[in-house]
Amino acid sequence: MTPLVRLAGVSKVYPRVHHPRERLRAFGSLLLGREPARGALVLNDVSLEVRRGQSLGIIGENGAGKSTLLKVLTGVIEPTRGTVECRARTAALLELGAGFQPDFSGMDNVRMKSAILGMSERDLDQRLDDILAFADIGQYIHEPVKHYSSGMVVRLGFAVVVASRPELLITDEVLAVGDESFQKKCIRWIDDFIENDGTLLLVSHSMYLVQKLCRHALWLRGGRVEEYGDAHRVTQDYLAWHEARNRAEELHRAEERGVHGHYAVHSLELTTPSGGETPVLATGDALSVDMVMRSPDGRVPVGMIGIVRVDGTPVYGVCTEDAAGCVRPVTGQEDQFHVCLELPDLALLPGQYTLRGHALDPEGMRVCDTMERTFRVRGETREFGMVRLAHRWR
Amino acid sequence: MAKSLTRGFDAAFFRHLVVRQVRQDYLENLTGFAWLVIQPLLLLSVYAFVFTQIFKARISDAGEIGFVPFLAVAFWPWTAFSEAILKSSGAIANHAALVSKVAFANEQLPLATVTATFLMHGIGYLAVLLVLQLLGTDVHWLWLPVALILLVLLWLLACAIALFASSLQVFVRDVAQILPPLMTFWFFTTPILYSVSMLPDFLAGIMAWNPMTWFVVQFRDLLLFGRFEPGLAGLAMIVAVPLLFVLSLAWFRKFSGHFEDFL
Repeated sequence: MTPLVRLAGVSKVYPRVHHPRERLRAFGSLLLGREPARGALVLNDVSLEVRRGQSLGIIGENGAGKSTLLKVLTGVIEPTRGTVECRARTAALLELGAGFQPDFSGMDNVRMKSAILGMSERDLDQRLDDILAFADIGQYIHEPVKHYSSGMVVRLGFAVVVASRPELLITDEVLAVGDESFQKKCIRWIDDFIENDGTLLLVSHSMYLVQKLCRHALWLRGGRVEEYGDAHRVTQDYLAWHEARNRAEELHRAEERGVHGHYAVHSLELTTPSGGETPVLATGDALSVDMVMRSPDGRVPVGMIGIVRVDGTPVYGVCTEDAAGCVRPVTGQEDQFHVCLELPDLALLPGQYTLRGHALDPEGMRVCDTMERTFRVRGETREFGMVRLAHRWR
Repeated sequence: MAKSLTRGFDAAFFRHLVVRQVRQDYLENLTGFAWLVIQPLLLLSVYAFVFTQIFKARISDAGEIGFVPFLAVAFWPWTAFSEAILKSSGAIANHAALVSKVAFANEQLPLATVTATFLMHGIGYLAVLLVLQLLGTDVHWLWLPVALILLVLLWLLACAIALFASSLQVFVRDVAQILPPLMTFWFFTTPILYSVSMLPDFLAGIMAWNPMTWFVVQFRDLLLFGRFEPGLAGLAMIVAVPLLFVLSLAWFRKFSGHFEDFL
């Protein structure tokens, strides 16, 4: 089966065009068929293939080239190098409401947009009721679009796209706008769309959406393909990379706080059956945490250990106050105290988590210092939430 | 060939673009449609006043036809041509949001502007001819279909120039500044306010190379004198204008994928 979309070795250089002289020079190289001498390399040797019914999520930081990739894909811009093939009736939502003229009524804009999307006049007449029902903006349809709220523009834009019945749907952070119920409606529709052999290219910062809607994911980093493959694996690696990058920064901050604060976390180590720098484990594995705290006055600090999901949602936390005698002085180091926490059956569902160790004053009143470690629970599951509760079907 | 020419061309979309342009430019006012006819007539009376009362212009070979009909018949096609080019040259830059977000055959934007302008001025032209007739000029209505065909050829020429100018303006913004004086120059070097026969020979020879000269002379011949002598230049036009259009379209398409870089 030939792929619906194929990109081979695609690179895109944006010429510098800020000054008139740069514009002329860039135009000159364009006339001569040369690559711009000075410019920003936004896409660097990107190749990908999407087959019918196989949805692809595109992730990456801001400025990684995601939007440019979509523009190359839809044919809005020509790549500097490489080839693009796209053989599908495509509807792109690069920006909902792109192509909407603010001075014209919603109805006029619907006509215009549906023409852009390749709907005939007759198609539109047949589907107009569906569009109006989906957009659900009532009498505003006859008002100029400039009087719309951004949410209404999105609803109308999405409704027209829905009506055009595309084979390939390309969306760029579209689902981030609009109210909750409309978002759900969109996701339901996209779910249906995928179910019926539709193909989706989704750019999103929501790993949840990418995992939910796409089987494959592509991680763009600085214009290059960092990783391309199974959506679960790619999104998890992306989050892990994100965490690792933040960690150095966090550590630095924590250390600074430790110097000035009273009681400090000296070290925090995670040990898993697999070991490794960033511990990776499976649901139900054992995890042990070793934390060494420093106490400037020799009194025994209170330790606290907690787990949060990558987005900061607390999962579980526990404190040494409830377990007398578990904070023991380190032999030979008078100002250091050690705690060891064992979690024999860590029933976390796959995802990225952060373990936090806190040093509190001996009264347990004030958190003086915090150190963080991230770890990952790998795997694929159809369960929802963060924790696997003990359960049994009867 | 024909298929590749219309690649990406979407009749429904193009019609929307034209209608939108017409509404934007001509029908936004309350009395929009009335203005469509009134405005050209007002302009004509201004010219008539200036040239017959102040300058006392006399056209030697106009015969019993006065200066006003002589001017009007040539002036309208020119206005359509000039306005179409000036308006459409900004078509891409003015639709930056659309061009940089949505994939479609971009050439439809300048072409729609040219088409809308010609449609509107075409209606104005008919109104002017009607008024001329009512004021006693003998308009040769039988030749009107031929004049309309020439108008289509002129439209094609305007399209060719518009494609080139609008794409060039994306890359070289100065086009917006250069074009208006250039069109004014073209206006005065075309025998619209005067007749070729009033010129010294060497100038007339040069002016024969101006395609607008041919158009203007034909319109006058057809509608005022009831004769049609396209000559060799006519044959050249029939070949050259479509050729120019195809070349211009090829140029436009070659660079349309790079518009977004410069917008």
